[in-house]
Amino acid sequence: MIPWFNRIPAQRSLLSALVPAVLLLALSCFLSLLYGAGAVGPLEAFKALFNQGSADAYFVVSELRLPRTLVGLFVGISLGVAGALMQAVARNPLAEPGLLGVSAGSTFAVALALVLGASAATLTVSVAQIGALVGCFCVITAARMQGQNRDPIRLVLAGAALSSLLVALTSLLLLYDERAADEIRFWVTGSVAGRGLEQLYAVIPSMIIAALATLYVSRPLASLALGEKVAIGLGHNPGRIRLIVIVCVALLVGAAVAVAGPVAFIGLVVPFAARALVGPDIRRTLWLCLPIGPIVVINADTLSRLVAQPAEMPLGVLTAIVGAPVLLAIVRARRLPTL
Amino acid sequence: MFTARSFRHAALLAAGLTAAMGAFAAGKVVSTQYGDVTVNSDAKRVVTLYEGALDISYALDVKPIGAITTRGSDGVSNYLGDRAKGIKIVGTTREINLEAVAAQRPDLILASPRLNPEQYKILSKIAPTIVPKSKPHQFPSWTDDTRLFGKALNKSQEAEAIIAKIHDREADIKKVVEAKIPQDKRNVSLIRWMPQGAMVMSTKIFSTEVLANTGFKVNDGGVVKKGSPHSSALSLENLSSIDSEWVFLATMNLEGQKSLDAAKKSPAFERLSVVKKDHVIPVDGQVWTSGSGPLAAMVILDNIQKTLDTKVSYPE
Amino acid sequence: MMNTKTHSLENMPPQPQLEGHTTLPLGGESQLLLEHRALRRNAILLAMLALSSIAFLGMGSMVLSPLQVIQALLGQGSELNQFIIQHLRLERLLAAIFTGAAFSLAGCLMQTLARNRLATPGIIGIDNAAMAFAVSSIVSTGISLAPSAMALAGAATATALAFGLAGSSGTRGYRFIVAGIGIGAIAGALTQLMLSQVDIDTANAAYPWTVGSLSARSSSMVYALGIGLLISLIACLIWARRFALLPFSDQVITGLGEQIKKIRVAALSLSVLLTGLAVAVAGPVGLVALVGPELARAMSGYRGIPLIGSAIAGAFIMVVADLVGRTLLSPIELPVGIVTSIVGAPYLIWILVRRSPRN
Repeated sequence: MIPWFNRIPAQRSLLSALVPAVLLLALSCFLSLLYGAGAVGPLEAFKALFNQGSADAYFVVSELRLPRTLVGLFVGISLGVAGALMQAVARNPLAEPGLLGVSAGSTFAVALALVLGASAATLTVSVAQIGALVGCFCVITAARMQGQNRDPIRLVLAGAALSSLLVALTSLLLLYDERAADEIRFWVTGSVAGRGLEQLYAVIPSMIIAALATLYVSRPLASLALGEKVAIGLGHNPGRIRLIVIVCVALLVGAAVAVAGPVAFIGLVVPFAARALVGPDIRRTLWLCLPIGPIVVINADTLSRLVAQPAEMPLGVLTAIVGAPVLLAIVRARRLPTL
Repeated sequence: MFTARSFRHAALLAAGLTAAMGAFAAGKVVSTQYGDVTVNSDAKRVVTLYEGALDISYALDVKPIGAITTRGSDGVSNYLGDRAKGIKIVGTTREINLEAVAAQRPDLILASPRLNPEQYKILSKIAPTIVPKSKPHQFPSWTDDTRLFGKALNKSQEAEAIIAKIHDREADIKKVVEAKIPQDKRNVSLIRWMPQGAMVMSTKIFSTEVLANTGFKVNDGGVVKKGSPHSSALSLENLSSIDSEWVFLATMNLEGQKSLDAAKKSPAFERLSVVKKDHVIPVDGQVWTSGSGPLAAMVILDNIQKTLDTKVSYPE
Repeated sequence: MMNTKTHSLENMPPQPQLEGHTTLPLGGESQLLLEHRALRRNAILLAMLALSSIAFLGMGSMVLSPLQVIQALLGQGSELNQFIIQHLRLERLLAAIFTGAAFSLAGCLMQTLARNRLATPGIIGIDNAAMAFAVSSIVSTGISLAPSAMALAGAATATALAFGLAGSSGTRGYRFIVAGIGIGAIAGALTQLMLSQVDIDTANAAYPWTVGSLSARSSSMVYALGIGLLISLIACLIWARRFALLPFSDQVITGLGEQIKKIRVAALSLSVLLTGLAVAVAGPVGLVALVGPELARAMSGYRGIPLIGSAIAGAFIMVVADLVGRTLLSPIELPVGIVTSIVGAPYLIWILVRRSPRN
């Protein structure tokens, strides 16, 4: 009997990794309810959970911390799964919505909306989802150029180039509209603070569609990992698989960006961790991404409330600082793995 | 700031410079961030590269020939109204068009304390350039600016008069405030609303100082760092620190009510007692959070006056 | 004006007399190999640069005829004209030529090094780090260094970090590039964080450093860049033959008796030095590094490494871009970084689309 931690990831049973991850997620959610930037401390919040604390504490826990925890849960799942899907279809461990210019694309569109008269304070989810659509365009372009040439660096370079392009276009848009510039500088750092449940409801339909499509596509996608010919031999159409996956990624990333703004590097970190635990099979990593994504986002959010009291640190800054070392870890691996 | 000694010093220097240059009949020496600058005492072609300077110029009855745009539009600030008709635009706050400034052939340039040394080097070759001194951890004071630019425009007396006029009006309003609002109901906060929370403006900026002079007690909730004009977006959990009796909500667009409605969507905001009392007053952010000068002060005082007229109802 | 033609391997060692080439002995074993085609291309590019420079001096918020320009240059004509030409446009023209040449040459070196036309110093984070440092100098009262000096420090820091993090991996600088992208992402996030913490006036003051601008630049930095550019151009001429080996595989180069590592480090160092100095002058104007070399290649067909051609092409692009930025929406100036982005955007999209698997 080989100890669990000595086995190569692919031999571990999925449950042996999934169960601790879900428990950890539950703990993270719990901590997220207990700690905040305000005066309501853990003990008081704990009482409020059982309907025994002060009205203030109850309000803070139920109206402020609970919604953002739920939003964090949702954003974590979306970005984690989107990252895993994207990496599988690009066969590239560096494919990440943020690195590939999706965030920059959505920022561009949000800037466009602001310039056309919307206000960050009144920015609705539907407006922000237009932003996500621009991001989708970038994903598709980047994925298209991938094709037969599986050079991971090339994809990332294209993404970085696209990002710099879209950032420049955003600057152009904001050149004369300093009001929009003033508002967008708060949006681009990414945050789940102050996001309410109604914003979450607005993106639930796209979530459901993406979930169903992901379930449908996960098996063909796994066969695609064995090579195009294998997939065709098993009766799948590689082009169609890729298209479905890209639409899924677009829906997921779009929804997450609409709710929380661009939160960097989650799509990179989460699948990386999942693969390290259960190996590269997409059907297994996807399951594990479900708890790991929210774990990362929720804990980062809790931390963001505590490091800059009484204000909060933007979530996106925190995830960038956490995510960049992972990027380097992937790169520093002995050889750049192609999935 | 202008002690008798520094005046004497300046006068001596002016005399020396005038003697040296010969051509100037009467030059005035103005002390700026980049040292003493000699100004021709009847400057006719003034270009302002600072919104505060434009406001002050108009307040002193000087019509600048060129100015930079205000944020969010391709002209100067709305509140300046018809005064600014026909003024030439010479750039934006972000990018001054030095050629356009030169093409105006100005004989005096009034600039912002934020003018950088490279820009100063070029501008000072075009015309005497007045840059207010910037003090670390302090914001430009509109009275200091008015006196400085007033001196440069050879309108020191008018500058004193307009400062006195505004202080008088502040005092008048203060009397009304003290008569109508009980002592413990005079605290007020100035905020900007962001979806993730409120930004609280410092008690040290232009508009909050005007507010304070009218008898209100400005409350920044103790969350604004020293030297910073406003806090970071305050956590929604800490909104209660700005739950003053009155809140002025500065908006960057003109649809103040829309911004207020957006803020009200947040349960944490709606829960504040100031919101329940309907004591949140939307105001123009261009004047309140970034404006400066006598005319802007007048707008702020108008806003306060209107609030007193329409919203205040405390039993005697 | 000199370049090497080195695509057929048998031509590499020693130095045969090639058709369409002139060799120029430099003493010892060194020799300059002049390709006539490259010379022609560079001459055309130089002529374009000269024409655009004349237009640059003549046009703007005040339009001057070429005669007036020449008079003003010679210290004649009206005082205003002299001022505008001598103090405003001439310095700005120099800054445009220097930064354009530096960005583009740096881009060409980096592209060659990584064998990827999308790899430019800006994309791997040097620009962003310089931007973050320059912005920090503006938003913080605690930093007394000027933004341009901080930008230089930022570029140096990013490079050192990327080198350090990439370790001693020799695989074509790939790790270096990805480390750079990571650093760039962090620097970008930190810049956003800083800009979200300050008031709008401070954010506005930092604006030119976030898009790249040539208005009222630090003249000492322009001179420093000029010197750096001169050194780099000389180095490129002397090492042209060695740099020409960069596109080949390690085995080939080792087989030729050259030390691949040294060549790569030299190319990389020149590239980041140039970018650092250029960013310190103008802020992030990254896309010039992408488009400049491409223009140089387009002018001479795709052969060889058009180092000198890239420098001239970059200068040309920068001059035209700033001219457009100054005149298009006069009296309001468009920062040059925005114009280069508009020029670079269609090209970038074209490159991305063209590389789709169907082609």
